[in-house]
Amino acid sequence: MEPRTETQTNTHTIDTGAPVISADAYDTAAFHAADAIAVVTNTTAPDAVALPSEDASTAELLTAVQEAGHRAVPAPFAETALVARPLLRRAGLPVPEGPLSYAIAPDLTIRYARPAASAVGSAGCLGEDDSLLVTGALHRVPWARAVTEVVVLATAPSGPVLFTLPPGRAVLTPGGNLAGEPRDDLHLAAVEIPASQVRRITPEVLEEAGLRAALARSALIAGAAERCVDLTVAHTGARTQFGRPLSRFQAVKQEEARLIEEAALVRAAVGAAAAPLDTGGPVAHGAVAAAKTQASASAAEIARIAHQLHGAIGITRLNPLHLATTRLWSWRDEDGDETYWARRLARSLTATTLWPSLAATP
Amino acid sequence: MSPSVLSPTPSPIAFPDVALPESARGLRHEVRAFLEEERALGTVLGRPDSWLAGWDPGFSRRLAERGWVGMALPVEYGGAGRGFLDRYVVIEELLAAGAPVSAHWVSDRQAGPSILRHGTEEQRRFFLPGIAAGQCFFSIGMSEKGSGSDLASVATRAERTADGWRLTGTKMWTGGAHVNDYAIVLARTDDTDDKHAGLSQFLVDLRAPGVRIEPIRLMSGEHRFNACHFEGVDVPDGMVLGRRGDGWQQVTGELAFERSGPERYLSTFPLLVSLLRELERGSATAAQLTEVGILTARLHSVRRLSLAVAASLDAGASPDIQAALVKDLGTRLEGTLVDTVRGILPTPADPHATPGSHPELLAFALLHSPGYTLRGGTNEILRGIITRGLEQH
Ligand SMILES: Cc1cc2nc3c(=O)[nH]c(=O)nc-3n(C[C@H](O)[C@H](O)[C@H](O)COP(=O)(O)OP(=O)(O)OC[C@H]3O[C@@H](n4cnc5c(N)ncnc54)[C@H](O)[C@@H]3O)c2cc1C
Repeated sequence: MEPRTETQTNTHTIDTGAPVISADAYDTAAFHAADAIAVVTNTTAPDAVALPSEDASTAELLTAVQEAGHRAVPAPFAETALVARPLLRRAGLPVPEGPLSYAIAPDLTIRYARPAASAVGSAGCLGEDDSLLVTGALHRVPWARAVTEVVVLATAPSGPVLFTLPPGRAVLTPGGNLAGEPRDDLHLAAVEIPASQVRRITPEVLEEAGLRAALARSALIAGAAERCVDLTVAHTGARTQFGRPLSRFQAVKQEEARLIEEAALVRAAVGAAAAPLDTGGPVAHGAVAAAKTQASASAAEIARIAHQLHGAIGITRLNPLHLATTRLWSWRDEDGDETYWARRLARSLTATTLWPSLAATP
Repeated sequence: MSPSVLSPTPSPIAFPDVALPESARGLRHEVRAFLEEERALGTVLGRPDSWLAGWDPGFSRRLAERGWVGMALPVEYGGAGRGFLDRYVVIEELLAAGAPVSAHWVSDRQAGPSILRHGTEEQRRFFLPGIAAGQCFFSIGMSEKGSGSDLASVATRAERTADGWRLTGTKMWTGGAHVNDYAIVLARTDDTDDKHAGLSQFLVDLRAPGVRIEPIRLMSGEHRFNACHFEGVDVPDGMVLGRRGDGWQQVTGELAFERSGPERYLSTFPLLVSLLRELERGSATAAQLTEVGILTARLHSVRRLSLAVAASLDAGASPDIQAALVKDLGTRLEGTLVDTVRGILPTPADPHATPGSHPELLAFALLHSPGYTLRGGTNEILRGIITRGLEQH
């Protein structure tokens, strides 16, 4: 008797187990604008969350975005509702139909498409009108391949500007995050943006864009955290080992309680930023910085506990948990991770402002 | 008052002191030289979790040619007859380098020692030389859908036939069953009131008629493990491992081998190497160095405990509680390492980045991270073992 060596035929399909992250992820995410619009606006679609009206309060928008995070809505819901639309309105540009995205890109090279003949100051500083020639790359733009417009915040020779870019005008390199959500690079080689799509903005609007993006991401995290709680509570109640539901074991109860606590912490921080964002100013900055710091910092513990209590089934595609945890791991890094926001939060603090700033939100 | 002379309080759970044998030093250099050659061939890629995901039978065979697979098995069965400490040095070098060892991992760690200990002479002569040659690969078929932490509730049945057994049931999470040759399957052979009794182990040919392997995809999309269906699989009498009804004792008796090795704290080590490579490009800040230092100290300390368990095994003891303790500490450290590396050098984890680049390795380690504290017995169960051990102390 000789043990079989692998030169003999194997009747199973040989799969070396090589990662197929990209292939699979792009299969599920490779849909176009039409699908994304359907998910965002068609309230009968299974994953749909109705897009609030354009004059909804930030609090209402946040609630809807949390729900999108909770359901892992496969569309740029938060990007459209909480970032792109309000910024377009602030800048006085029409809000187009359909899904939108955004890019904050101070590094773009921007010239005026029609430089003024008699420039005052340094050359190219002014234009006959505001149409721009834009060169450079927008990195990891959420859902770029599926949106009608990307709202770009950049710096023109005259100062900060906001313009809209139909992604078809750029060369798109597909990319994605850990959850397989599209994060595409857009390459622009002297692309002309007509003046009608350009608005000069104040530095405050530029700042607000960063805050909106971070808060949108925090709200998504809050939603995904809730999903982890729901799935874990349901799982530990239903799965039995040693003749009892998992939820009856002390060790499980202890961890589950910590999971619930951590998710509550994130939800509270996100909720506290709603009103300040409408008011603006330093209080908005502090509240959003705290929300994104907390949301990003909690993501690891929330994902860890949810997975631990799910056991092996949770690390597979058979179970929906991965929809929430891979998003938590991605979103915590996007629009500034906890290190970035914690530094910004701490930078503005002094011994005399610490308590007043903590007590600034009710 | 004269100062009282204090003798040190003995620890409730003792770990022996270890010194690696002289032979280990030379061996370590040989392994490093081999890894250097393999790196030049492009087979050693410095990847995390290479004992789960680094499947390369060619690499396993070349390793075996040097005598480094089944190396603790006796020479008469094709092994190298070297102890657990020599083996320890080889496998820690392989894991630290992120070498692709998953093809032979289970054969080397579990199947080989198990067959040596419980197998018949015929089984030893049949399997062990192939294992030591890196040409016979095993899967573990213990878990089932309803039997996770409560392994004793397995429902897979083996019914008596004229000249053997007929297996029916489904094993879950069988790593590598789609590419391996055999599985060690735990099944119920006798009905008793005591669910720890009446279980037996079988050596099952994974290509036998009636074996159906269904892939289970990880959340990363990788195919590493399977649902392994046994739809009336005939297993000859000669393939019962150990004594009928002794399955539970055999399974639990070997846990120390499986639980305390370097694979319980080195799965994500290559990510730390990658971090240092990144930090070397600039100058690391004091805060970054502090974090690296704290991690390294913990790795160093866990390694000492892990080595102590290997030394106990080498001396013929069965340090089950110590092994559980090492596995809890070590696997938690594997996860902490990923979080800490991300904190030290904030980099978005990107599964689409260039393979082997820091963002790609981070994504890989992260997507695998939930498994570290689950596989081979969850940490909650291990802590139960540790404290029960204390009560019996
Ligand atoms: C990467 C990976 C590879 C694997 N490879 C194999 C393989 O090759 N072969 C094989 O047979 N199996 C394999 N397994 C399965 C592994 O052994 C099981 O995942 C493990 O035993 C836990 O079982 P479970 O996943 O069903 O979780 P469950 O037992 O359902 O546990 C879920 C959670 O509840 C907790 N819990 C359960 N009972 C108690 C209790 N009494 N007290 C306190 N807490 C409790 C657990 O600690 C865990 O946190 C693998 C698992 C993983 C993740």
